[in-house]
Amino acid sequence: MPITASFDHETALVACARGDAQAFRDLYDHEGRFLLGVAIRIVRQREAAEDVLHDAFVQIWQKAASFDARLGSGRGWIYTVVRHAALNHLRRTQREISTEDGALEVLLDAAVPVDASDDLDTGSLERCLGLLDEPRRRSIVHAYVDGYNHAQIAARMQAPLGTVKSWIRRGLLSLRECLS
Amino acid sequence: MSFADDPDERRAQAGEYVLGTLDGETLAEFETALAIDADLRAEVGAWQDRLLGLARRAPPLVPPPALWARIATSIGGAEARPASALASATPSPPSAATPTSTPPAPIFAPASAPTPTRPPAAPRWWQRLGFWQGASAVAALAVLALATLLVLRPPAVEAPHYLALLQAPGGAEVGWVVEARAGGSLRLVPLAPALGGTPLPAGRALQFWTKPEGAAGPTSLGLVAAGTALTLPVSGLPALGERQLFEITLEPVGGSTLGRPTGPVLYVGRAVRL
Repeated sequence: MPITASFDHETALVACARGDAQAFRDLYDHEGRFLLGVAIRIVRQREAAEDVLHDAFVQIWQKAASFDARLGSGRGWIYTVVRHAALNHLRRTQREISTEDGALEVLLDAAVPVDASDDLDTGSLERCLGLLDEPRRRSIVHAYVDGYNHAQIAARMQAPLGTVKSWIRRGLLSLRECLS
Repeated sequence: MSFADDPDERRAQAGEYVLGTLDGETLAEFETALAIDADLRAEVGAWQDRLLGLARRAPPLVPPPALWARIATSIGGAEARPASALASATPSPPSAATPTSTPPAPIFAPASAPTPTRPPAAPRWWQRLGFWQGASAVAALAVLALATLLVLRPPAVEAPHYLALLQAPGGAEVGWVVEARAGGSLRLVPLAPALGGTPLPAGRALQFWTKPEGAAGPTSLGLVAAGTALTLPVSGLPALGERQLFEITLEPVGGSTLGRPTGPVLYVGRAVRL
């Protein structure tokens, strides 16, 4: 595995809050391709995903001063801004996501892609996800990765809405315990 | 909030908030709680990190070079941060170029928000429909909650009474509350760990500004210390009225030397009469 200096997201965000455009550019260069991948998976359209990434990065620049390093990592904060921008896009457009697309299911279960410059540790989370019952794990993955809401997960997994809600809630609480 | 006393419910809801499965009323209630509940914000922060590894299930995709160019244009070129919402007092002319700038926002009505002096290549944050919709929904709920508290108090004075919630641009977080009574005093109270959170960048200070509806420009109300309340006599304000703009910007130590905001807006909101 190549040695890469790990990127300091917190320092970059503090610099953005000061108006440091270079730090903002560095952040984009480091995370842009991962975040465009996250966005396109949720909104399913290239152009919409680019719009989401644009809006999210403008927000990151604007909101950098409100990032609170005591509450969590800079990277976690940035990914939430992008994911929520993508989810808001879906809510605005109310576009129906096809749950018939078998190709995406293949992607869902694919191994985590290897990227030489990726310094994000996914090991503990993957291990804890592996300990969940399959329906709970799949519900959480569909929600996070595909941006599915309760109803879409219920349709996809052919389960009652209440059951899906319970899978997610209990799955999350188990994950929390496993990761603590 | 219904989940206030159930730790598991709080944890699960914070997780669902990050996951994105909260919706409608539950989402609105959660965001209102988030604005005033530091422990809940900490739980959300922890969930952001717990679930982060799932982002790697989405294969990366290299953005086209044009996307960075768009972003750079939207934030105002290579170095300039977006101007303060108060920096230009030019009234917003009707413009076909910003059709999304008139959402039905009862509290923060962007129709009267100033327009930057240079023609924007893309809508600024205060012109973006999504921001104002989100901000006004959260602010409306928070105003309702605070107004309820205030109404429950015996009315001591009959002078007009105003409240403004100052929110982070683009975010739901309410950082400060401004409360003022005509002929009395104005109080600026920190709510969030208001910029509270991150230490102030070296060489920077927080400056408090106001611009009454229709005024030519903003007036400085002085510097404020992060996380510290401030009380001022209302007689020191240019005016006090409905829809008056209040904001906190990041400025050089000692404050802006130009008599108007020069740094990024950290928190901004308009006054409502109670």
